[in-house]
Amino acid sequence: MAVWIRLAAAIVSLAWAGVAAAQPVTLRMWMHEHPPRIPIDKRIVAEFEKANPDIKVDHEIIPVAEYPTKLLTAFAAGSGPDIFNQNSMLVAQYFNARILAPIDYAAMGLADEAALTSQYTSGFDGIRFQGRLYGIPTEVSNWACFANNAIWHEAGLDPDKDWPKTWEALPAVAEKLTQRDVNGVPRRRGFDFNWPNRATFWFMPNTLLHQLGATMIDEENYKATIDTPAARKVFHYFQDWANKYRLGGPQYTDARTEFLGGRLATDCSFGIWGIPQMVAAKIDWSVHPAPRFEGAVSDNGMDIYAFYMMVNARSSPAAQKAAWKLVRFYTDHAAELFAGAGLFVPRKEVTESEAYRTNPAAPFFLAELNKAQFSPRVVGYDQVLDAILRGRDKMLQGESVESMLPVMNDEVNAVLNRERARAAAMAK
Amino acid sequence: MFVLPAVGFFAAFNVFPMLFGLYLSFTDYDLLNPPLWVGFDNFVNLFADRLFLTALHNTLMFVLGATLPVWALSLLAALLFDQAFRGRDIIKATFFLPVLPPVVVVAVIWRVLLHPNGVMTWLIGGRWGLTEIRWLADAVLAPLSMIAVHDWAAIPFFMVIWLAGLAGIPAELREAAALDGAGPVRSFWYIELPHLRATAVLVAALSSINAFQTFALQYVIPTDPGGPANSTLVLGLLVLKYGFQYFRMGDAAAVSMVMFVMILIVTMIQLRFNRRD
Repeated sequence: MAVWIRLAAAIVSLAWAGVAAAQPVTLRMWMHEHPPRIPIDKRIVAEFEKANPDIKVDHEIIPVAEYPTKLLTAFAAGSGPDIFNQNSMLVAQYFNARILAPIDYAAMGLADEAALTSQYTSGFDGIRFQGRLYGIPTEVSNWACFANNAIWHEAGLDPDKDWPKTWEALPAVAEKLTQRDVNGVPRRRGFDFNWPNRATFWFMPNTLLHQLGATMIDEENYKATIDTPAARKVFHYFQDWANKYRLGGPQYTDARTEFLGGRLATDCSFGIWGIPQMVAAKIDWSVHPAPRFEGAVSDNGMDIYAFYMMVNARSSPAAQKAAWKLVRFYTDHAAELFAGAGLFVPRKEVTESEAYRTNPAAPFFLAELNKAQFSPRVVGYDQVLDAILRGRDKMLQGESVESMLPVMNDEVNAVLNRERARAAAMAK
Repeated sequence: MFVLPAVGFFAAFNVFPMLFGLYLSFTDYDLLNPPLWVGFDNFVNLFADRLFLTALHNTLMFVLGATLPVWALSLLAALLFDQAFRGRDIIKATFFLPVLPPVVVVAVIWRVLLHPNGVMTWLIGGRWGLTEIRWLADAVLAPLSMIAVHDWAAIPFFMVIWLAGLAGIPAELREAAALDGAGPVRSFWYIELPHLRATAVLVAALSSINAFQTFALQYVIPTDPGGPANSTLVLGLLVLKYGFQYFRMGDAAAVSMVMFVMILIVTMIQLRFNRRD
């Protein structure tokens, strides 16, 4: 009798498991709006659904400006998406809040981490936390310097020959390219940092510090390292640029707008994705490596940032498995995403694609990318950045670099300590 | 029974958010994890928070600049337009124009006008041969620019309220004062001003509340909202920063509560003055 009962129970549970396995899964996938990517995404999702009839994908595109807040409030309300994308500057807070699911290699049909990372030459450092990976890059981007050839030639300079190799040589070249009015106010700038863009003042100081073998935040020990000789050198450079050489400053229109308007000779805040905009603006451009400091200990150009596809750790196990399957399917279309939407990932299919081979700037960007580093990832990114911008502005208003850096260091450490204590309290 | 839908609507969309905001002000809430009860910690910490103290100072300075000059200049404009003169209606309508566009539109227009090499530099600096004035990049000029832009749009608005108050003064009183030999200054001081007390309380209350709640100008006009060097950081902007940039909803709610109490106190003082009179 007992045997019959056991057999019946086994049959019932097997049948139930079969029913459960056949249960369709509906995935909610949120991506920020990037118009050229929308039709490609839709096609990829449709192909995935066709290949996996038991998985439905509710694909939502959210305007860039609303995306971070909408994502946060959705997670707050317990209705966060199963799959979402976000950039490397902001992923730390999601990791800290235990929103990110570690990659499920089996669900992706991969043996292990090496099987995944060996397909790429870089890009994973921005999504590795405590030794584990939590997402797959869909865009890995670095900035480089672009010259408006017409302005350079007009000033009697050849961007290929006269390009400044070092930051120390840059002010003299920029001065030759600058046109000033009777009061010495720049009317056309030779080069300027993209001061109004917040992210610039995360990438730019970190890039320069990386060249000097330093960084703004020691990510491992979660400590600010802003009050150092290297940081003094970097912030003196910014201060001199605006106040001593008067080559630019935050009071002027942002560098990208000015470069595309033909009013700035050189800009270092465009990635490879900026080239179509320059072509549309009829700018005769050439691309060049970011200058290095004299005696730099690292030959890195501009820092990297990346967008990652990640999976919600609060989704059901079945949804997480299906989500990783979709992430693999989506990221396997990297070549198509580069050709159609300009989203570059350093992956073999991309670098061997027609779109890559016919893009004259692509090998240059890849070479710079392979030498570049990620800027530190911190929880409380906006608070830290605000403290840095506040300090930068005060230096430009006349405060000394030596007096401001300890203040910035303390402020950033206060943010880091607070966020770490907060995370510990939340974890309890 | 008839008012039940309205009461329900009010409770759902006004009372509940306020109570929820009050609850949040006693928590640490990062949006990604459930709120943690922290008692009065947020309020205690606020008064040692440099950012809050800066925002409080900037807000109070802005309130000063956005009330006293507005009261005086809008009253002056109202007295001027209360007189009969040729083309008065056209000039008055033109003067009122800044009130019509939304604050954000005003802010965007002024952002362009206050470009360091823009129209305002040409108009004001040109006299001294200046070709660049850092209206928005200088930590002293930027908050003053915010006050100037605010007052530019607020003065015509409050002028209309003063005009309504002036219209309510019986004409016989002014005529009697004139017959008794009172000049314009004495007539204003002894006849018009006492009759404008209720209007003055309204103007003072509305302008103070508006000024305490300022946000759009400081968000839109500076290159970095609240900048440079936090010189235009006001409490309204700090709520946004704490809530949706720093993910410190508890602190954001605590700042909102402090703002609420400050506005309540100022309004009650003004109402008390009115009642005493």
